[in-house]
Amino acid sequence: MTDNPNTPLQNLWQSQPVESIHMSIEEIRKRAGKFERKITRRNIREYVSSLIAATLFGWFFVRTHDVFLRIAYVLFIAGLAWVVVQLRRKASSKTLPLAMEAAASLQYFRAELERQRDAVQNVWSWYLAPLVPGFIVMTLGYWHSMPYPKGLIASAIVDVCVAALFYGIWRLNLRAARCLQRKIDELYAAEKS
Amino acid sequence: MSVIQTIPKAPTQDSLYEQASQEYGSALGRLARAYEADPEIRRDLLQDIHVALWRSFAGFDGRCSLRTWIYRVAHNVGASHVEHQRRSRTQILVDLEELDQLPDASSGQPAADRSQAMDRLLTLIQRLKPLDRHVILSYLEGLDAASIGEITGLSAGNVATKIHRIKNLLARQFQQRGEAND
Repeated sequence: MTDNPNTPLQNLWQSQPVESIHMSIEEIRKRAGKFERKITRRNIREYVSSLIAATLFGWFFVRTHDVFLRIAYVLFIAGLAWVVVQLRRKASSKTLPLAMEAAASLQYFRAELERQRDAVQNVWSWYLAPLVPGFIVMTLGYWHSMPYPKGLIASAIVDVCVAALFYGIWRLNLRAARCLQRKIDELYAAEKS
Repeated sequence: MSVIQTIPKAPTQDSLYEQASQEYGSALGRLARAYEADPEIRRDLLQDIHVALWRSFAGFDGRCSLRTWIYRVAHNVGASHVEHQRRSRTQILVDLEELDQLPDASSGQPAADRSQAMDRLLTLIQRLKPLDRHVILSYLEGLDAASIGEITGLSAGNVATKIHRIKNLLARQFQQRGEAND
């Protein structure tokens, strides 16, 4: 505590009526368990959505007889599996380690921002790139299965849309990473100044 | 004469939590109020702070005081809550310098009573970015600059500058005399 006597505003702040709660250790354990279950549910949701997408590609695989398209769907499923593996590897970085909760605020914020930056700045390598081979082979499939120039036009349209979408996602993430890096630099400066 | 020496038991995670809850329960309640205006959500936040404290005590190594540890955990949970809420409410937070320059209709006007002064103080705090919010809350809790530096990780010079700004800001917003004093 400070040696100086409190100012009127400090007195006002400290004497305000507040609701303080008392939780028994049993209640605490129960709520902590609830938090863990929430994380597990979030992970399950991600796996289930990937499974649904993979099933859809599997269904397309069965329905088509074109070799190129079949290879494309297999590549999509493999790409999705790779994304799921990466998601699992990154799961530990979705929340900060427990020890960080008691770190000084500045270090805590910085760690949180660095975690977010790392997640968005590598989005190309772990999230977008694994799906590219599937799209390339699918393009060949359209050329192969549809009469000229219909196949060429259809594949060009799909490719341009997908390329624009990927580029947009990549640029947005890059911008977010730069913005996070600026905030991180500000915190480093605040620590040193 | 035989002297029986009793070795003091190391505090456990549960006993540390009990101690924290008893000694700092009110401070945690005030802190939650500064991080969340909605009473329902605030109760949830307060429970989250208690859970985070209990979990954190598993790793308490005594390298900093219990008070510093408690404030760090509580502020960090509060800041994460603000960050999460900010995304869903698109709330714009400012730092001390920006807040000082923002026009405020009530600035300089005396508050009618303590409750109005308290509301105005809370509104002001809730507009601040987390780090500046930590500093102003710690200042209002009566912590000295060294303790605030330990909790926030800011350099001593930076804490001193921020406290100076806080004092000026509060003086301008609340008219140095009279208010909150009755």
